Amino acid sequence: MTDARIGAAAPAAPVPAAPPDGSPPAVDALLVATDLVKSYGPVHAVQGVSFRCNPGEVLALVGENGAGKSTVAKMLAGAVPPTSGSIVVGGRPLASGSVRQSRQSGVRCAFQELALVPDWTVAENLSLPDGAPYRGFSQRKSVVAAAELLGAFDLPHIDPQVTVGTLSLADRQLVEIARALAGRPSLLILDEASSALTPPGVAWLFQRIRDLTSDGGSVIYVSHRLGEIAEIADRGAVLRDGKVVGEFVRGGWTDDQLVSLMAGREAARFFPAPPARTTDAVALEVTNLRSDGVHGIDLVLGAGEILGIGGLQGHGQAELLRSLFGAAPATADSWSIAGRPVSGTTPVRSVRHGIGYVPEDRKREGLALEMSVGENLLVPWFRAYQLGGRPRITRERTWIDGVLGALSVRTRGPDERAGTLSGGNQQKLVFGRWMDRARTVILLHDPTRGIDVRAKQELYAAIVDLAEQGVGILWFSTEVEELVHVCHRVAVLYQGAVIDELVGERLTGDAVVGASMGLRAAA
Amino acid sequence: MSVASPPVVRLQRTGMTRLRREGAIAPICAFVVFLLVYIVINPELLTRFQLQTAANLVVPLALVALGQLLVVLVGGIDISIGAVMSLCNVVFATQLENVPPPVALLLAVGVGLACGLFNGFLVAYGGLPAIAVTLASAFIFGSLAREVLDRPGGGVTKEIYLATSGELVPFLPVSLVWLSVVAVLLWLLLQRTALGRHIYGVGSSMESVRAAGIDARLTKLLAFGLAGMVTSAGAVMLAASTVTGDPRSGDAYLLSSIAAVALAGAAFTGGRGSIIGTVLAACTLGLIGNLLFFAGVNSYWQYVISALIIFTVVGLPVVWARTTSALKGIRS
Repeated sequence: MTDARIGAAAPAAPVPAAPPDGSPPAVDALLVATDLVKSYGPVHAVQGVSFRCNPGEVLALVGENGAGKSTVAKMLAGAVPPTSGSIVVGGRPLASGSVRQSRQSGVRCAFQELALVPDWTVAENLSLPDGAPYRGFSQRKSVVAAAELLGAFDLPHIDPQVTVGTLSLADRQLVEIARALAGRPSLLILDEASSALTPPGVAWLFQRIRDLTSDGGSVIYVSHRLGEIAEIADRGAVLRDGKVVGEFVRGGWTDDQLVSLMAGREAARFFPAPPARTTDAVALEVTNLRSDGVHGIDLVLGAGEILGIGGLQGHGQAELLRSLFGAAPATADSWSIAGRPVSGTTPVRSVRHGIGYVPEDRKREGLALEMSVGENLLVPWFRAYQLGGRPRITRERTWIDGVLGALSVRTRGPDERAGTLSGGNQQKLVFGRWMDRARTVILLHDPTRGIDVRAKQELYAAIVDLAEQGVGILWFSTEVEELVHVCHRVAVLYQGAVIDELVGERLTGDAVVGASMGLRAAA
Repeated sequence: MSVASPPVVRLQRTGMTRLRREGAIAPICAFVVFLLVYIVINPELLTRFQLQTAANLVVPLALVALGQLLVVLVGGIDISIGAVMSLCNVVFATQLENVPPPVALLLAVGVGLACGLFNGFLVAYGGLPAIAVTLASAFIFGSLAREVLDRPGGGVTKEIYLATSGELVPFLPVSLVWLSVVAVLLWLLLQRTALGRHIYGVGSSMESVRAAGIDARLTKLLAFGLAGMVTSAGAVMLAASTVTGDPRSGDAYLLSSIAAVALAGAAFTGGRGSIIGTVLAACTLGLIGNLLFFAGVNSYWQYVISALIIFTVVGLPVVWARTTSALKGIRS
């Protein structure tokens, strides 16, 4: 804790850092975490974190990736036993190391890495974790119960009978939150639970949180999105490198202060402006693109242009990017890459034509987690007959070091296993493999989802840098701010087609949100 | 609420969706086609004698395949299943000489359970890969079987044969009744108990199941134990129908059981597979040899035909999915 106080006393700290375990609490705290430590071998993920959470309160845990937020959340949820320290819930020590016991004592968690079983139906996912394993299970009853639950939580559009694997990421997250809410928990932990949610989804989540806290429940809200924290959090703790470096209360902070506290340095939250375009060359042109979920989209992407794709998730953005990369079958009336006509494409041909793709799910589609950092960067550039392994890495060392340096990937070097990196750094790898490789077009699927502020800004800078080099960027983002500030143009998709294209004066946050709801602003 | 479309109220769907999801449609269709072809080539199947022999031929395979399915469902594979079968087979046959038949049956099932738990413990709690564990334990169980009985023999009597492999009523072989009992019980367990759903869940995503507060390791262990018990039932049926215990009897069933599970459309990564599909796939594979005999084809072709059936049944859904998605692309 001493370390934490030193951190809190840093010059940038604007926050009245009330000693977390010093002064007596005004009310009996629902949750008291004292000196939590979690070490994985020599790595100290969490080193002495203490905080308390009062009944009816929303406590935010903020920090960059790798700051230890998720580990703290997992310890509270019982998924990970703390190396030392104690957690007291409602006056009783929490039996650690068992999710089941945590659940039974009223602590529930919606995890960042979704904890839903993809082959189970929504109904099974909602009902199976509760109760004994040796009892009857009726599909019918579980479906009825799930429909009731989803109805009560105002999620009637989710069909309890479909398998979770077929749902969109946002819907899966909603189901995960609904499951955590189902037991009327006294303490709800939301670990980046809003990362895939759209603005109305976040509004829905906040309504549920308010319902819960008005009943005396508490919420621990782990997030990167400062806007959400400003709206929902009563108090908060800032974590950095596994320690609490400061605390804040509602209204007593600004974005910049929090960001610099998280980063441990002065860092303004800002969006770089898109670079001025120097050429009228066209990087990618497609008319009437059709695919599963994409119903006739016309796109022209200029070289050096950043074209944002907006809209609510599930309106064809993922399918559009996958079709353009050739990962999903698609047809179009005309289709050209850098002026060269093509008739359809496959991922292999796309790479040859100069297209790069950063997919939605970095763990599943983006990286080979068991392979090294260097190999993951080189993946698109391996030919079967070429050198591989260590000799290849040595040969490409300059490029690898350049990419790792340009994106400030925090890694022990190209030989480290990609799976051990934090989320933001993994995302940088998926992005970095396309840098300085003579690309004409780069397709980005929400590359900043669930990564911390600093990593985001490093990615923005890299994106703008690529555009300056004349690469056309097609960028789907769920964060409207990004689209408004960093893009030249934004095309908003609605039900698989472009409903509106916003540029110049009309490119505002309200216009993007409006268009994604299916409203076409008067031009 | 994040999607603008109005809430869709759908009818309660039947088990059809579940069958499709579990990959059972293709093996069921394959079995129907196969049976029709069989009856056309050899109408004699529908006589009492042939029905009984055919049933006695496929029932042990179907039971062992169900055992294999359980292990595959939790994301494993059981290489020791043939050896477990041999061991239970000889335990049953030799113990019939010493103890009453029900006790011998219990002993055989107990041995199956013990073998399954041994594998399951090493896989679930030891964290070892199932293929390595079961490959190693196959050698142990195989040696034990030869230790118990080193040449075909044992005390299987005619009464036992009649009770397991005779006819209950004309045209209804008893063995099919026993298979149905085991299959229905297993179906109830997998589809109508929480444990059964946990078994599917563990295979689908071990991490998620654990994060949801379910004891994933215990679930895995129980699935292996259960698989051992079902396998021992197959071993008992085999000993009874051949009226002998044989320490090598299970060897041929290892690959057949894996083939049946593959033919049933189960996912070898776990989480997907159906009981009915597996039973019918085992029946199809088990009868190919007979069919070729009656069709006058050299029995060496049996394996080629089996392979072609597997290719077709496993490949058709894939081709079907590709075709429909291609058609959709053109239409939209």
